Amino acid sequence: MRKLWATTKREYLERVRTKWFIIATVFGPVLFGAIAFLPSIMAMHTKASTDFAHIAILDATGTDLGRRVARAIEADDAYAATGPMLRIIAPTELTVAESLATHEVMRKQATGYLVLDFQTVAGETARYAGRNASSLTDVQRVQSAVRKGLLAMRLEKAGIDSTQVQELTGPQLSLESERITDEGRGGSGTVSMIFGFAIAFLLYTSIMLYGQNVLHGVIEEKSTRMAEVIASSVSPDTLLAGKVLGVGGVGLTQIAVWVVAAVALLRVRGPVLAKLGVQASSLPLPPISAGLALLLVAFFVLGYIFYSALFAAVGATVSNEQDVRQAATPVTLLLVVSIIFLEPVLLDPTSRLAVALAWLPFSSPIIMPLRMSVMSLSPTEIAGTLGVLVVACAAAVWLSARIYRVGLLMYGKRPTMREVVRWIRYAG
Amino acid sequence: MTDVAVDIRNISKRYAGHVAVRDLSLAVPRGAVYGLLGPNGAGKTTTIRMMLNIIVPDTGSISVLGRPSTASGVTDRVGYLPEERGLYKKMEVRRVLRFLAELKGVPPKVADKRIAEWLERVGLKSGEKDWGAAKVDELSRGMQQKVQFIGTLLHEPELVILDEPFSGLDPINAQVLKDIIVELRRSGTTVIFSTHLMENAERMCDAVCIIARGEKVLDGAVSTVKAEHGGRFVALALANGDAHTLAPVLGDPTLVRRVDDSNRTMEIELAPGADAQRLLRTIIERGATVERFELVQPSLHRIFLDKVGAAGAEERTNDHA
Repeated sequence: MRKLWATTKREYLERVRTKWFIIATVFGPVLFGAIAFLPSIMAMHTKASTDFAHIAILDATGTDLGRRVARAIEADDAYAATGPMLRIIAPTELTVAESLATHEVMRKQATGYLVLDFQTVAGETARYAGRNASSLTDVQRVQSAVRKGLLAMRLEKAGIDSTQVQELTGPQLSLESERITDEGRGGSGTVSMIFGFAIAFLLYTSIMLYGQNVLHGVIEEKSTRMAEVIASSVSPDTLLAGKVLGVGGVGLTQIAVWVVAAVALLRVRGPVLAKLGVQASSLPLPPISAGLALLLVAFFVLGYIFYSALFAAVGATVSNEQDVRQAATPVTLLLVVSIIFLEPVLLDPTSRLAVALAWLPFSSPIIMPLRMSVMSLSPTEIAGTLGVLVVACAAAVWLSARIYRVGLLMYGKRPTMREVVRWIRYAG
Repeated sequence: MTDVAVDIRNISKRYAGHVAVRDLSLAVPRGAVYGLLGPNGAGKTTTIRMMLNIIVPDTGSISVLGRPSTASGVTDRVGYLPEERGLYKKMEVRRVLRFLAELKGVPPKVADKRIAEWLERVGLKSGEKDWGAAKVDELSRGMQQKVQFIGTLLHEPELVILDEPFSGLDPINAQVLKDIIVELRRSGTTVIFSTHLMENAERMCDAVCIIARGEKVLDGAVSTVKAEHGGRFVALALANGDAHTLAPVLGDPTLVRRVDDSNRTMEIELAPGADAQRLLRTIIERGATVERFELVQPSLHRIFLDKVGAAGAEERTNDHA
């Protein structure tokens, strides 16, 4: 126990102390922060130049409709750098005013211009021309502003006083959309898709990264000949266990830092952006229950153990860095399979392929979390796949320990498959 | 307390295709410096690894410090320096040593104190430079070897096992190591080292075991071994240029059985029944100027060659020295 602790501690501390670890751990949240804040901030700056509110309103109605529409547009875009330019003109001057406004738009002095005339007052048409005419949202916002202005004008004409009119036409309604699929409600559609993909990818990279870390740790011990010194104090099994646990601890530490930072950033994102005066769509936290979080951790830990055991076995069969890539390829490919099928599984998490990959121990650590975050699975299926994975882990560790025991002190030519099988049979 | 530090009984170890160790038995007296001699590939390293429970013999038993070698805690009382040496390259020297001590159960505070003492003793820490704070790969090879010695001895083992300790050492480190071994011996520690360099064994060992092709050739105290083979050897040194005049004498099978000419001196084994005095007389009658004529005990080297013979040595020539 003391020896296991000593080796685990060494593996953990030596890795956590490296520059690489510190940089990666700090860089994660920085990157995440950039993703969370930058697009909104940049959008704010680009918006100022092609602002939908920065338009000319040519009011040829002879009423105060233009003023009302301008006000409605201003109310819609409180953050606008410049509001609409209202021009009251006689109907006969409309052609001249329009060609002037066209030139302004061409010279980028305005985004576009809106024409209000007798037809608008009659409730028939208004015209809009501008650079952003193809933007559905912008056009809709202009349209809604015109409608609002017209409605307010008519209500006042009907004898309702202006403050009441303000109240009645005030509400800015926003529509939130949700996806419904054959399987029913898709949760909050895109969010869970993105979340599922992010989780699967994070698991994949972490398992790959830390599995290979174990691989290189084993080879380092072999190539520096440290293995034999340690083998005289510690059993190979303890050494292997210490390595897997220590490196796994490093992985969990890093992921924990990233997750905590990400959650914290998402929490403060809204308030901070509001303070900066940036209007942004909300990035909601995906709904993860404690149970789901625990399952995700379980899949990561088991997947990591499974792959790091295999990588350790590979490391024990080679004696120099040159042979590593070739020897590790089968294990790496096994892991890459899950990533190749990420998209089909994401698009149809109930397909036969998805179910098969969820049960196979080499892909379940990535596919199961992916499926769990986009749909709800039966407890039997979750327990079943976990069970299979646990059994596979035990087998991988057993196999790896036997190869490791013999391979640790073997140098020279890489053993053939037959020799490795003999190691497994005779080890001990 | 038994007076035997390591007791090996009838161990064998077979690998696919060849037998590494065959029915080997030996006893290492407590407090002795014990040499395990043999050509490359004789099974020395395999034997040592079995003592340390790194590999398990197919048959036979090993007891170390009075307990079976497989018992837990036994290896904590043993220090081991493998033939192929190395340390974690990216790790700080002091941290490597602390780790090695911790594996043997030395409390951190005690370890730190001993590390400081050792680093000063071998010259890795002085007023201006403390190599303990450096990373291993910043050290020269000689310095790394010193660090490795320290790592072997930090837990003050009762038994120290060194596999080919002198191979790859520069003369300065060889001297450091020799001094350490002598001091260990003085403080009652048992030291086992393997070597194929007979001169080292000759100077340092109280007892030896010669093995070849996995089998024991002979063992015992060095004085006994020599006495059993002694009395029949003459060391001869002549004034320059006189050697060729003696060819007929040295070729006489009734006088001389074998000559090992090392240029400055010759080691002559007398023929059975031959008399050393008659040999000396004959040489002088030949007119050679004798600078040295001495009845000697055979060197371990001589005994080794006699016993193992050319056939005993593997053809492999990857000599470490």
